[in-house]
Amino acid sequence: MARYECDVCGLIYDEAKGLPDEGIPAGTRWEDIADDWVCPDCGAPKSAFIATE
Amino acid sequence: MRVKTSDLKLGMYVEIQSDWADHPFLRNRFKITSRKDLDRLRACPFDSVEVDLDRSEVKPDPAAYPSSVDELSKVSHGDAPVDPKEAGLAPPKWDPDSLIPGYLREALHDREMTPKQRAEQVYRHSRTMMKRLLESPTAENIKASKQAIYDVSDMVLSDRDTAMSMLRLTHHDFYTYTHSVNVGVLSIMLAKELYGGSDAHNMHELAAGFFLHDIGKVKVNPDILNKPAKLTDAEMKHIRIHPYQGYKILEAAGELTEECRIIVMQHHERAGGDGYPKALAGEEIHEYGRICCIADVFDALTAERSYKVAMTPFEALKLMKERMSDHFDQRLFAGFVKLFKEQ
Repeated sequence: MARYECDVCGLIYDEAKGLPDEGIPAGTRWEDIADDWVCPDCGAPKSAFIATE
Repeated sequence: MRVKTSDLKLGMYVEIQSDWADHPFLRNRFKITSRKDLDRLRACPFDSVEVDLDRSEVKPDPAAYPSSVDELSKVSHGDAPVDPKEAGLAPPKWDPDSLIPGYLREALHDREMTPKQRAEQVYRHSRTMMKRLLESPTAENIKASKQAIYDVSDMVLSDRDTAMSMLRLTHHDFYTYTHSVNVGVLSIMLAKELYGGSDAHNMHELAAGFFLHDIGKVKVNPDILNKPAKLTDAEMKHIRIHPYQGYKILEAAGELTEECRIIVMQHHERAGGDGYPKALAGEEIHEYGRICCIADVFDALTAERSYKVAMTPFEALKLMKERMSDHFDQRLFAGFVKLFKEQ
C-alpha cells in the first residue's frame, strides 16, 4: 500500500494504517480521500502531499 | 529611524536635527564614511540621530544573519510553553481569575505614571499574562485574555507616548510569550498606521488575533521548540503545524473570530507564494495576515537565540528591505518602517 508525505509539515499518510482518529479507516486509498481534505496536523491542502517510500 | 550614536555604523546616512552649533560637521545630512565621522558623532551632545534607511549603505555581515525567511525558520523558536503530552493530564494551572495579573489593570488605568513607567508595567504584566495563557490555554482563559488584550490595545492605540516607549523597550528573549506580546504591539501599531480611526476594522479583535497568533505552538513538540541549535529540515517542518493547530484551539474555544482565523492561519503565508500552510500568494493573503507577517519576521530577527545573532531594529529593517522584499507587501512594510521614525 502507498504512503504519502505532507510537503509542508512532514506528516505521513499510510494507506495501510489510515487515520482512524480523523475518520479515515485503515486501508483507505489516497484516491478515495476527498479533494478538499486537509492535512490534520498543519492544514495544508491534499495537493501538498507527495508519494513517498 | 532613530538610532543611538553608539549604534551608528559606517555607511549610514544621518540627519542631525540639532543646532549646527552642536556639531562639527559642514552639513546636517550626510553619509558616514570614516571612523572619524563616527567618533565625532559620538562626541556630540545629543545621543541619537535620525538615520535615513533608503540612503544608507550598511550591509549586515552575510555570515551572521539569516538571508531569507527560510533560514530564519531553521533557528530554534524558543521555549515550549507546555509539553503537549502532559497537557490535559493535570488540571490547568491558571483560571480566568488568576490569569491576569492585577498590576496590569492598575497600570492601564493609573494616571500618575509617566508613559515610560506605564509602558514598562503594561509590557511586563502582559508578558506574564501570555505566559500563563500558554501554560493553560483553556477556552475560559482564552476568553479572559481577550478582555485584557482589548484593554492593552486601547492603550497602545490612544496613548502614543506609551506606545513608543513600549516599542523601545521590547525584550528580545526567546520566550514565546514575549514574542506574542511584541508581535501584538507591533502589529496593532501598524494597523493603526494603516487604518487610522476607520470604523471598518475591529481593532480589538485584530489585537486579539495578533497577540494569539502563535497559540498553536502549545501543540508543537517541546524538544524541537527548545532545541538550542539549528533545526533539521524535518524539525522545521514539524513547527509548521502551529498555524492550523492555533486555528483548532481557538475554534474549540469558541473564540475564532474572522480576524483571529485570518491572522492565525495566514501569518506564515508569503507574498511570493512560498509560505504555509496553503501556499497563498499576493492578493490571496488577507491584509491582516500580511501585517502580522511583517511584525513576526521583524521580531524573530531582533530576538536573541543561543545559535543566532540578535539584530538591532535598524539592521533588521535593512535586511527585510534588501533581502526579503518578495516576502512582504511593500506598502505595508513602508508603514512599518515609519513606526520607528520618531515624531
